[in-house]
Amino acid sequence: MSEKTTHFGFQTVGENEKARKVGEVFHSVARKYDLMNDVMSAGMHRSWKRFAVEVSGVSEGDRVLDIAGGSGDLSRLFASKVGSTGEVVLTDINASMLAVGRDRLIDDGVSVPALQCDAEKLPFTDHYFDCVMVAFGLRNMTHKDKALAEMQRVLKVGGRLLVLEFSQIWKPLAPLYDAYSFKLLPLMGKLFAKDANSYQYLAESIRMHPDQETLKQMILDAGFGKVDYYNLSAGAVALHKGWKI
Amino acid sequence: MLKPILTRLLNHLIHQNSWAKTQLKQFGGKAVRFNIPPVSATLAVLEDGGLAMAGDAAEPDAIVTIPFPVALRLLANDESATTLATLEGDTELAAALTKVLRGMQWEYEEDLSKLIGDVPAHQLAEFGRKASAEVKKQSINLAEMLTEYWQEEQPMIAKKRHVEQFVKEVDTLRDDTERLGKRLEKLETKLKAENNS
Repeated sequence: MSEKTTHFGFQTVGENEKARKVGEVFHSVARKYDLMNDVMSAGMHRSWKRFAVEVSGVSEGDRVLDIAGGSGDLSRLFASKVGSTGEVVLTDINASMLAVGRDRLIDDGVSVPALQCDAEKLPFTDHYFDCVMVAFGLRNMTHKDKALAEMQRVLKVGGRLLVLEFSQIWKPLAPLYDAYSFKLLPLMGKLFAKDANSYQYLAESIRMHPDQETLKQMILDAGFGKVDYYNLSAGAVALHKGWKI
Repeated sequence: MLKPILTRLLNHLIHQNSWAKTQLKQFGGKAVRFNIPPVSATLAVLEDGGLAMAGDAAEPDAIVTIPFPVALRLLANDESATTLATLEGDTELAAALTKVLRGMQWEYEEDLSKLIGDVPAHQLAEFGRKASAEVKKQSINLAEMLTEYWQEEQPMIAKKRHVEQFVKEVDTLRDDTERLGKRLEKLETKLKAENNS
């Protein structure tokens, strides 16, 4: 019987190989992940994340799950919104990324539980969270459909899923964006993080990720009742918001 | 990048008008489209009672259509113009959001004070209020002056009492015409009856 395959950037790899390969990439970039994010997006990733938290509708006392939360940026923002009566759980499949995020939050005096877990098998009971957030993580998941179904399962009725992810840029800007992604991005990875290959993967994985409408349909297929999305920075990034009804 | 900026602005206003959150919270997750031809915008009510610009795939639960001249009247605080806006879909949601948007006030003095301090902010805001009142006063004076000119010197606009007199005369003429019509009908019937006998 032939092994099931999936994509790893532009390469085709076995399904059981992808998680390990993605793990290697993030283990390699973990220490300089935030610096590179700032360099690559000219600091815009911070405003995209702030916007995501703003439209989440999260208020004091809510329970929030931050999936693939690595650097802990979103957990920090959510923690200030939910206050002492709420709960934010930071998770990531990658131990190196999770350790960086957890340590940074502790250094900043923010105490949230940090759990290493696979988004396709979330270790939480049904109907537990008011909001589930995954920022720049879904495209690295092997079975996106399974992960989305898990996110739907752990949400309460009326809860919201927020997916912040690279998406399809406005067509006229595509040639410029391609040049940036495949020429400049690996070069910056080499200069700043001494790791061109990992940033080559990042650029390729962005291209392989579903566009806005396809992802909207995938979220609906996972059992969400309603989905809306925002194009940010001419569609280079999209924020999808799904409601469990 | 316009939607994140507008959303931030809306939430800042909501934060300054905390009463609005209480009124909107029950409508969390719903969206309202405001059509003010030629522009339209869809606002989403957030689950915490905040407001955001809706996304690109939002399906509005209610639609509020406000003709452009009516929008101008609403901006000038003309209460009677509210009846000229049309509400479709979830009218309770549309009415609540319209009420909140009309009732919200920008506490610009408070925002300024964070930048330049309390006293200069108050002085600047006071100057702004006086300037705004003066502009309003001068605009009314100009409008009254132009009205008088177009009514007396270069008649282009009818005076109110003349219009009322005209309307009254039209009413009288209409009633007289109707009475005459009835009399003619009566005469015709009478004439036919005499011819038949």
